Amino acid sequence: MSTNLLKIQEKIKLSESLHITGRWLNHTGIEEYFPEELVITVRASTPIAEICTVLAENDQVLPFYIDDKTQSIGAVYAIGAQDLSDSVLGVQIIDGTGELLNFGGQVMKNVAGYDVARMLVGSRGQLAVVTQISFKVMPRQYVGELKFRAKTVERSALREEVEKRLKTVFDPRGIFS
Amino acid sequence: MKIVNELLDKLPKEIVLTGEENTRPFECDGLSVYRQKPLAVVLPDNIEQIKQVLKICKKHNTPVVTRGAGTGLAGGAMPLENSVVLGLSKLNKVKSIDANNQLAVVEPGVRNIAISEAVAKYGLYYAPDPSSQIACSIGGNVAENSGGVHCLKYGLTVHNVEAVKILTINGEELVLSRDDQGLGLLAMMNGSEGLLGVIVEITVKLTQTPKLARVIMAGFDSVRDCANSVADIIKAGIIPAGLEMMDGFAIEAAEGFAKVGYPLDAQALLLCELDGSEAEVQAELEVALKVLSVASSIKVSNNEQERLDLWKGRKSAFPAVGRLSPDYYCMDGTIPKRHLADMLEKINELSKKYQLRVANVFHAGDGNLHPLILYDANIEGELERTEEFGTEILKLSVDMGGSITGEHGVGVEKLDAMCHQFNSKELEIFHKIKAAFDPEGLLNPGKAIPELHRCAELGAMHVHHGQLPHPELERF
Repeated sequence: MSTNLLKIQEKIKLSESLHITGRWLNHTGIEEYFPEELVITVRASTPIAEICTVLAENDQVLPFYIDDKTQSIGAVYAIGAQDLSDSVLGVQIIDGTGELLNFGGQVMKNVAGYDVARMLVGSRGQLAVVTQISFKVMPRQYVGELKFRAKTVERSALREEVEKRLKTVFDPRGIFS
Repeated sequence: MKIVNELLDKLPKEIVLTGEENTRPFECDGLSVYRQKPLAVVLPDNIEQIKQVLKICKKHNTPVVTRGAGTGLAGGAMPLENSVVLGLSKLNKVKSIDANNQLAVVEPGVRNIAISEAVAKYGLYYAPDPSSQIACSIGGNVAENSGGVHCLKYGLTVHNVEAVKILTINGEELVLSRDDQGLGLLAMMNGSEGLLGVIVEITVKLTQTPKLARVIMAGFDSVRDCANSVADIIKAGIIPAGLEMMDGFAIEAAEGFAKVGYPLDAQALLLCELDGSEAEVQAELEVALKVLSVASSIKVSNNEQERLDLWKGRKSAFPAVGRLSPDYYCMDGTIPKRHLADMLEKINELSKKYQLRVANVFHAGDGNLHPLILYDANIEGELERTEEFGTEILKLSVDMGGSITGEHGVGVEKLDAMCHQFNSKELEIFHKIKAAFDPEGLLNPGKAIPELHRCAELGAMHVHHGQLPHPELERF
């Protein structure tokens, strides 16, 4: 674990209110990449363009729609980019109490525990600080044209309620805004 | 029992099963070593009846165990003591098919293969194919996030589901879709093992049936060469539709049963299926054959019959092993592919240690292991030894950076192994997630996630991503 993460854990423990951005986190770089496993693990503040360059050396790609590659990978994860969830294998997060937690991993098939790594896609930095993400990547020739599809904005009251309760699970003090 | 009387009172009598004889068929799922009879089994015909069951169970504070076809291999659908089983097999209609958008809306009790049969006339099929696909239900598939032979290219259940409708324990309907703004609740519902909600409707994604599929069978003199070829094929830029590996013992068992011409002198066998247009298959075939030139024998299917024959051995591997032993225990760990050969060696060492034979059948392409441990439940202590052996394999999987379960789920079977994969803080998060959906803990409680005291009593050593405390120490 880098000292960087320990510092962030400390900061979270001491904070009462935090707005998480890629720049605030400032945790960049490719952690691990195994082309023959079709797996890459990246730190959340890494610009997408940097990841794409590394993958291109092996003629591999991130198989989901990205409109702006200058963004960090953590940002598109937080927004919940089109079909990004399908490629997520695991995450490392720091929750609202400052605990460093891991869900999922680097393997294609993994049904141990609830799929928190995919559930947090679209969580907009409201539940936890996502520090590291593992993705399944694909050889370029297997990925067809990726198109944007608008998301449904309409939400039921029950869904709002469930999401509110899930926020409390990860951020019991309500510090992430 | 008050609750049984109320179920009989408020629901049509013919859908409520009570008493020793009637509930016995439901006392276990595909993992028959764990058994428990429920208070009652309800087999509803419609969603309103499911709501009624939930309402009555909530009123009496009685656990509900939702059940599909009961083919699960981890005890996920095994009844709990004093529980009501909610069997959804009668909800078996394909409600609509949208061939243009490659979608179908189905009820949870529809069998996996029945979806493919219903859409075949449009040149479509439902891709995930767990080996129980002729019997297992789509609702169960979603609850377990089932896999199969073709996951590497076509994905797991979670990749092939567009939307689900669930009922909460309060009987409220919640529709979760791929297009929703907000948290990935649809993804989390996949593999939630009946602990968060009752899945009552599923919209599945359909896939175009490939024009052509051919399979390469490659025999190897060494397990390591075979395992390395798995990585080399992917490295060469090919994603096979299926990539399966068997060890010498599994080859022998399968050939003895299916008689399809597997090389009996090989130490390991690889089945590599390529599909797509004729041109695509031809191009992939050339690359794959070059990679597989290290094999001691090669056979490529030249027609559909030959392809099916080559698969027949693999697909009958489990019953074939069942012929050689009174009982067998099927494991389900996953590991990064680069550790396949090491894992096989370790399993062989453990096989000697426990004096139990093992046949290895792997979904090698995605690192999913199915070691079959042969045992005899009538010999005292042999089941316990088998479970201990299995637990060692699962711990090894975690230590190598993998997972205790790739596609079978945790159920009741792998609760102890969960303590090895997750620390207490992570397990606590899981418990709180359940409580966010089901505060009283009535939906399949006690399954999938171990209680923290259970892990503490085991004294489990928690490991993450292969990073052991004191890595300098050898562990076997």
